[in-house]
Amino acid sequence: MRKHMKLVSMVLLVAMCVFCLAGCGGNKQQQEAAPAAGEAKLSDTLVFAQGAEPRGLDPALVDDGESAKVMANIYEGLVKYAPDSTDILPCLAKSWEISEDGLTYTFKLQEGVLFHDGTPFNAEAVKFNIDRQLPPLVTEDMGYAGFVFGSVDNVEVVDEYTVKINLKSPSTPFMANLAMALGAPIVSPTALQNNDNNVNQAPCGTGPYKFVSWSPSENVVLERNENYWGTPAKTQNIIFRFIADNSARVVALTNGEVDMIDGIDATVVDQIKAGQMTVDNIEGMTINYLAYNTQSPVVADKEVRKALSQAVNVPELVASLYQGYASEATTILPSFMPGYSAEVKQVGYDPEAAKAVLEAKGITEIHVITYTNPRPYNTANGQTLAEAIQGYWSKVGVTAKIDAYDWSTYKEKVKTGDYDVCFYGCNGDNGDPDNFMNLLCDPDPTMNVARYNNPEFNALIAQGVATANGEERNALYAQMEKIVAEDCVWLPISHAQVLSAYNPLVDGYYYHKTAVVFFSEMSKPAK
Amino acid sequence: MIQYIIKRLLQTIPVLIGVSIIVFAIMRVFSPDPAPIVLGQHATIEATEAWREAHGLNEPIIQQYFTYMGNALQGDLGTSYYTKQPVTQEIFSRFPATVELAIAAILFASFFGILIGTISAVKKNSIFDNLGMLLALIGVSLPIFWLGIMMIIFFSGTLGILPSGGRLNPLLQPDHVTGFYIIDALLSGDMAALKDAIHHLILPAVALGMYSMAIIARMTRSSMLETLEQDYIRTARAKGISEKSVIIKHGLRNALIPIVTVIGLQLGSLLGGAVLTETVFSWPGIGSYTVNCILKSDFPVVQGVVLLIATIFVFMNLIVDIIYAFLDPRIKYSKKGD
Repeated sequence: MRKHMKLVSMVLLVAMCVFCLAGCGGNKQQQEAAPAAGEAKLSDTLVFAQGAEPRGLDPALVDDGESAKVMANIYEGLVKYAPDSTDILPCLAKSWEISEDGLTYTFKLQEGVLFHDGTPFNAEAVKFNIDRQLPPLVTEDMGYAGFVFGSVDNVEVVDEYTVKINLKSPSTPFMANLAMALGAPIVSPTALQNNDNNVNQAPCGTGPYKFVSWSPSENVVLERNENYWGTPAKTQNIIFRFIADNSARVVALTNGEVDMIDGIDATVVDQIKAGQMTVDNIEGMTINYLAYNTQSPVVADKEVRKALSQAVNVPELVASLYQGYASEATTILPSFMPGYSAEVKQVGYDPEAAKAVLEAKGITEIHVITYTNPRPYNTANGQTLAEAIQGYWSKVGVTAKIDAYDWSTYKEKVKTGDYDVCFYGCNGDNGDPDNFMNLLCDPDPTMNVARYNNPEFNALIAQGVATANGEERNALYAQMEKIVAEDCVWLPISHAQVLSAYNPLVDGYYYHKTAVVFFSEMSKPAK
Repeated sequence: MIQYIIKRLLQTIPVLIGVSIIVFAIMRVFSPDPAPIVLGQHATIEATEAWREAHGLNEPIIQQYFTYMGNALQGDLGTSYYTKQPVTQEIFSRFPATVELAIAAILFASFFGILIGTISAVKKNSIFDNLGMLLALIGVSLPIFWLGIMMIIFFSGTLGILPSGGRLNPLLQPDHVTGFYIIDALLSGDMAALKDAIHHLILPAVALGMYSMAIIARMTRSSMLETLEQDYIRTARAKGISEKSVIIKHGLRNALIPIVTVIGLQLGSLLGGAVLTETVFSWPGIGSYTVNCILKSDFPVVQGVVLLIATIFVFMNLIVDIIYAFLDPRIKYSKKGD
């Protein structure tokens, strides 16, 4: 018995000694460890902290932004986005031609490109990647297959470095789709064959970084691809760490554990700046809006919708809710996207006129549904936004009854259509105006939450998809914006800025508008 | 004794079946449909329906349950809807992190809990007693996430002496043997990795162990107070045994039974995953992972984890009961009718 007691006591004592010694020596050890590691490796390493773990690293099988950030450094597509816009530049395709009828896309491919497994990139690889996302091979868990390749009829290999993609019908957004980090990137066919058509855990692309390891819930490590066909990456290792808590992520940045963070909101900006770190804010590819249910008898009348919109002082609302980290949306499309028109005007703030119309129409109560979670396009969350608008409406004699739900439940409620007004938003996928505007003609009521159905608008959407990029196409989208503004279907509220932060020692920081981050040009001086 | 253990093991079966039924029903009745979450915003209605069909979600719940349990009994807990990885792999790649943290936290809590409780009992009503019990009160009352964030801000942000989160510098990763980084680092003789792992462990272990420490301190104090008033303590003192010996050998040892119960149960709940601590300190364990899976309606993972936690809890209870016999020879697990 005594032996047992002694054993227990000894174990406890030894454990505590280890703890205490480690704790007491903390400062010294940390100071010693950092330079030691720095001399060996750390000067070659950049650490990026994001809020969640990727779902997987197979571009055909995932649909989340956290995966996209990692994959954008491992894989490449035929084309890529320009650094500060969503214009299209060559990547694995060095040039392309689009047939007159808009149905055939012929790509000339880069030669001498190798996948990370040493196999060659060629037209067969392109065909393999697209074919796996087309019927009959496509599976229902390929979330972006339909979006990216839905317009593709078939793919032909012309020669080793020429590939022809035939579309079922003309689709101008198709080129923009090919630059996306989801669905479009080209994966090594050999890796796919060796991994049962799923490289979520064993990604293999042509990009400037190759995959090293993934510790679940902890980190993903990438290393420089020494055989990269383009300019080799400047930094040897990239580590993606997953830090769910916002405050902890900020502390990790300010005390030098990580070099860059994203997923932050306005509340921590001062703390980041006080820690001598740099905040990067770019206008995001998002729209945050209020939608009127055009099928609801209460707001079916355009005059009522207009009056309700007039009662809301959008600039004041945006300034107070988002503290300068979102811009007032005067249009559905963000200003950097093709099709944006500064001439489009939403109804202005006019509470007097609003009150008169609403009184005349006998509107005293509005049923509003909203969501309780912060969203990328609305960092203040839907409930806060709804309550602010409730305040404006109460001034014109309208009582808004708000039902707020968590996001998953909310989407179910939207499906039922039992609301006069709801709040929603959109994170753009491909930088094409159709991506935003077709939300207003989508037959799926969880996408087209205003349940808007205007044949004239729908015809313009179809025309926009089939028209080649250029002034004529941009004019079509400006016209669509005007129709929606005139019909007061949505009240556009804000375009959120994408906030990220980095250590000023990092050179070449590049966070793209599509919310992916590219590391190949980034570096940090060795300590 | 053996019969007692076998009996207790058999008793765990209905408990685990009950737990599996409850978690299965709750996930299916109250969670949102997983199909749209798994397939994403661009999924068509047909694709969603096909996915539900393929995953058996259109079957009656009872049939789904029996299919699931049939597979589970053969060791197949299914595949995560969201990541498409086998559930056992998803759980066991994260479980060592949870175990490592729980053990560190319980060691911290036991050592300081017993120390504070004993001092408080021996020096009853003194300043030490008051301070100790104040600390226990604070430990019980402080929300873990707040304590965790404050510790990060102070020890990592202001003082910069400890890392704010994570389990190890990825570049120092020792060879994977057990999944317990401290043990792996020791096995590979990598002192830099060992130091780094211990550094990462301190803040989360203290934050997580604070509550258990407070509970253990209170239990130790009350149990010790009771024991120290026993006749045999007076006898021991009368025999002239040193005070230290009286307190440790005669007092603490006899007071230990309820304390061991508390430690065992606390360890059981810590092993169940410390959701808040794991989230605040980015600790890659099963607690925070499971919460994410609940939010994503990833039924197979949630079911697997809950079954695992229930099993652990049941076994911790069993182990505590068995330890009683070692600590107190008066306790015997006799057969019925003896």
